[in-house]
Amino acid sequence: MFNLIRRDVILQKKMLLTYLPFILFFVMMDSHPAMTFLIASIFIPFNAFAYDEKAETNILLNSLPYTRVEIIASRYIGAIVYMVVAIGLASLSLYAFSQPFSMMDIAIGNSLFLLFAAFTFPLFYIIKPGHIFSVVLISFLLLAAVGPQVVIFLAEHLTVITNFIASFSVPALYTGAAVIVMTLYAISWIVTTIIYQKKAF
Amino acid sequence: MENVVELNNVTKNFKGFSIKNMDLQVKQGFVTGFIGANGAGKSTAIKMMMKLLQPDSGEVKLFGLDYQTHEKVIKEHIGFVYDGNVFYEGLNLKDIKRIVGPAYKRWDDTLFYQYIEQFELPLNKAIKTFSKGMQMKASLAIALSHHAELIIMDEPTAGLDPIFRRELLDLLQELMIDGNRTIFFSTHITTDLDRISDYIAFIQNGELIFNQSIHDVAENYALVKGGMDLLDRDTEKAFVHVHRAPTGFEALTDNIKEVKNIFGESVVIEQASLENIMYYSKGRKSYV
Repeated sequence: MFNLIRRDVILQKKMLLTYLPFILFFVMMDSHPAMTFLIASIFIPFNAFAYDEKAETNILLNSLPYTRVEIIASRYIGAIVYMVVAIGLASLSLYAFSQPFSMMDIAIGNSLFLLFAAFTFPLFYIIKPGHIFSVVLISFLLLAAVGPQVVIFLAEHLTVITNFIASFSVPALYTGAAVIVMTLYAISWIVTTIIYQKKAF
Repeated sequence: MENVVELNNVTKNFKGFSIKNMDLQVKQGFVTGFIGANGAGKSTAIKMMMKLLQPDSGEVKLFGLDYQTHEKVIKEHIGFVYDGNVFYEGLNLKDIKRIVGPAYKRWDDTLFYQYIEQFELPLNKAIKTFSKGMQMKASLAIALSHHAELIIMDEPTAGLDPIFRRELLDLLQELMIDGNRTIFFSTHITTDLDRISDYIAFIQNGELIFNQSIHDVAENYALVKGGMDLLDRDTEKAFVHVHRAPTGFEALTDNIKEVKNIFGESVVIEQASLENIMYYSKGRKSYV
């Protein structure tokens, strides 16, 4: 299992050279710290899929002494491992450029990452290889472009919902959000495992 | 345990092609060649052995074990070589070894480097710069470096030049000195098999026609040549398929005794090559 997670680093050795400059770019562009945390987390796990969408890779992994459950688990656990690394690197970068950030930014950035991962990981095993990257890219841009607008629209027009949300205390709200994100991540994990077990290579 | 691989009553349906109720056994300690035309179902059968595909019904057992409960143990003991390159083509052999090696409990670095040296492979060049023969050697080096008891190869000789093909076959022969090893490989180049196979499994249109020792195949099948006047509806029954020409007929039989009984000395009976068997079986009547 550990070996499967480590594989991403071996595969992306050269790519990783651009990792720090990539984070620094967002830091220096003065983008919102939460955004920086999100982008930093996405880098490794989604690059890994670019390698794994090839049929040959799946033939290789499935011919090695791994079960399909393990292969998918390595994806989901790996994403969290690399997310933790990303938090560290992004925090250091922000600190180095004396940009203020709070625990809140980390929480928002990484919740968004887990949410995004939960929705896109299963897609990698449903959509035909070759189309996946464009689908994910488009859905990410759409989410980034339309998402905030939708939230603002809902906040303005559906006072029932906002009142309902506002009725909770702040800690309860955050805990609730965290539980929802983790539940979605877990469901996504299960769904992907089921899809993957039925696949033929 | 005599059979390393057992397919019992395995059925797999695809659009326009299916494997029906296949029973296939691969004997331990021998080389079994798996022959059949393109599209006969060789790769499908191999993929089921590797659990890349799951049969619709029937059971697949390796080393007497079930994939359901012993997937990792089974794969631990298999070395695989596929037709195309399955390794990350942008990586060099050193990095591929870093990824594949730790997957196996019995991975042997010394052995790996020994094969790399023997095959004269570069460690620091990306796989995509390798020729077809080198890619094949690289796959083989990886397949052999974890002391696998069963080596499964899908068309390992396809696309190789004759010299390397021979080297490969010699190497496989060397590997068999270790009596525990079993090699199962598919090919459509039948001359490969004469050199190293102990058993031949022949598949056609998803159906296993026979799985016999190479000796039995030679004894059971024969090519019969004779004049057209000898053929009629009854005598034709002795043949798998008859090829008619103005100068006479040429036919494949799997019942030499009967042919001798019917025709006696009036026909010429020759040993049938595997190629003859494959060719004439194309038009065969289906078995009951």
